[in-house]
Amino acid sequence: MSTVAVEVVYRGIFQKTLARNIVRSIVFAARKEGKYGTAFGRYGDSPERNGIPAKQFAIVADDAEELEENLAVYEAQEVDVTINVDDTMCKGIESWAWYGLQPINALTKAGGTLIVTSRQDVDSLIEDIHQKDQPYNISTVTSIPSFSGLWVYKDDHTDVRILGALAKVCPQLVSLESMVEAIQDQGWDDLKVRSAERTYDRTTMRPVEPGEGNQEEPFSFDLPGWTTMEEGIVIRGIEQGGGFRGGEEGYQPVRSSVFKKYSTRSMRPIVNFDTCIKCTLCWLQCPDTCFDVTPDGLYDANLESCCGCGVCEAVCPVADCVTMINEAEFNDNNSQYEMWQKDKDDYTQWMTSLIDKQKQVDRTHGFHHVGGYAEQIAEVAED
Amino acid sequence: MTLVQDLPQVRGVKNIPIQEGFTSGHRTCQGCESALTMRLMIKAAGPRTIVVGSTGCMYVANTTYYSTPWVVPWMHTQLGSSGAAATGTAAGLASMMRKGKMKDEPINVIAFCGDGGGVDMGLAGISAALQHDEYNLLILCYDNESYANTDIQVSGSSPWGANSTFSPPGKVHRIMNKRWKKNTAPMLAAGHPSCRYVATACASYGLDFTNKIRRALTIGGPTFIHVIDPCPKGWDYDPKYSHELGMLAVETGLWVQYEIADGELTLSGPSRAIQSGVRQRKPVQEYLQRQGRFAHLNEEDLEFFQSRVDESWDEWWLPGVVPFKKPEE
Repeated sequence: MSTVAVEVVYRGIFQKTLARNIVRSIVFAARKEGKYGTAFGRYGDSPERNGIPAKQFAIVADDAEELEENLAVYEAQEVDVTINVDDTMCKGIESWAWYGLQPINALTKAGGTLIVTSRQDVDSLIEDIHQKDQPYNISTVTSIPSFSGLWVYKDDHTDVRILGALAKVCPQLVSLESMVEAIQDQGWDDLKVRSAERTYDRTTMRPVEPGEGNQEEPFSFDLPGWTTMEEGIVIRGIEQGGGFRGGEEGYQPVRSSVFKKYSTRSMRPIVNFDTCIKCTLCWLQCPDTCFDVTPDGLYDANLESCCGCGVCEAVCPVADCVTMINEAEFNDNNSQYEMWQKDKDDYTQWMTSLIDKQKQVDRTHGFHHVGGYAEQIAEVAED
Repeated sequence: MTLVQDLPQVRGVKNIPIQEGFTSGHRTCQGCESALTMRLMIKAAGPRTIVVGSTGCMYVANTTYYSTPWVVPWMHTQLGSSGAAATGTAAGLASMMRKGKMKDEPINVIAFCGDGGGVDMGLAGISAALQHDEYNLLILCYDNESYANTDIQVSGSSPWGANSTFSPPGKVHRIMNKRWKKNTAPMLAAGHPSCRYVATACASYGLDFTNKIRRALTIGGPTFIHVIDPCPKGWDYDPKYSHELGMLAVETGLWVQYEIADGELTLSGPSRAIQSGVRQRKPVQEYLQRQGRFAHLNEEDLEFFQSRVDESWDEWWLPGVVPFKKPEE
């Protein structure tokens, strides 16, 4: 008698098809071995939003009764393997039906494994991941996070590579042979089978000790129940904004106290205050009211509000004035304007190094033009 | 009729009001242009405004359990009832003020709806609201061309050929949505002669949009604005292109920006430049091929699409607006 549960934590819409391919294939493979399984998305994540973290699960059991028993719970309380398909979510996730920050390894069992697709080394990932009281393992699949959209899927083999890694780190789930059969059954080509096998061979695990990792307390707050809410279930509106940092000049809106966007974004804007021409476009076109207006008329990205869409970068008329940088490069949410004011040379140096690094790795967020994915995959294949 | 607020037209993008009425706490998609529409709408309207929203992304994604991005009072109303809710709110305020239960002052009433709630099921209610010319109110339809909240089902506003949950292209039938997008704003303008203001806009043109909101709120009586909102989720594109796709929709001549104030039609921005021949329309392909929802279109489909857009500019009586053929000279 045994049940194995796997969760895939992914960026809503961008990685919906990827997550579905993974959990479905797990169940197909399990059936090859006479086991019972089911794959499903978490109800609370639907309807998904671009970039907002979401989850899908695969539960595999030895017999039907045992599977039913596990499905009777609304959501798995612990899983054998957590698969994180975007390394920036190692900082924790705020899914849209769940308030507060949930560590990426929150559901990972003692002795379980966290698989992450990343180009970072394991130690820098562990720095971001919240510490746990029990030991677990971490395993990485070397890759840029695979992002596509609702209609066109970027088939860069991330799905089968994860399946290969999964067969290695969790042999009690299914064997590599069954996984390969499941891949073939779905009409995927031999190249995808080879990708799965190669990843299986290369996959290693690194044990994580109890207490190892990010020591911060995850952001949380009290959820009022229906008896403690205001009459008529009225929610108080956001207060009127005022001057920048409470001063007389500039402008800063008040922001939601219960929902911070720290984990919604996989990139964040970084502003060159020296070259900014104060054209207002980044501020005006931001759907998330992200920019605080400083007393000198500059625009400071407030990271409580930014979900990393990149519109500010796209509308900025000055080269490299607003640049989207991979979220993994940052360990805090401090104000860039305050950093710049403290030491302009230091700031410029830091900013330039980040921009240069960003130019090396192109993180893409989905569909650009017809045929675009094929070009990207060709580039990756050359690496 | 109660007086309207003093909301002067804004000259220059740098004079757009700095105060925000829609901040964080919403969890819309990355690059959600509809959220931007909400934000700019309330920026233009100012703090003495009541907003009523019918079901759709801007209800569900904005105000999930225990959170709100709104600084102004906001209330949810049912899918399809933005018209009734707008009239009811405006009438309620007028009545309270008449009875002395509230200070007599002009309060903006805005009801928004998506294309599902407005162009499809709410059309009758909007029509009724536009007939009640004793009330000052604005109905704003944010059009992301599908039922985007529930994962992209076809609406009467979805463009021809677009991929959606209800119209997935197959091997035998490539084009599953065979309906051409409804021409909503002109329909409402033509059908309600006493309605003093109907306009189309796009949040990518922030200043133009701001001024249209202000004109709608100050002209008096019920008004309607139809806004196109590129949707990174349903249209399938990298969220950073939201602004650019909004502009492309206008520059290709597919979305025409105009206002009809007291029966007088004025095209604005690039649409006006296209109409007067100052500017050439961009090929519609530039817009379509940037979106995953049109990735399955072939050459023939693109040509057909272009021909329909050409027809609306070259053969319609009021180019891009009214689909009656020009009378023989």
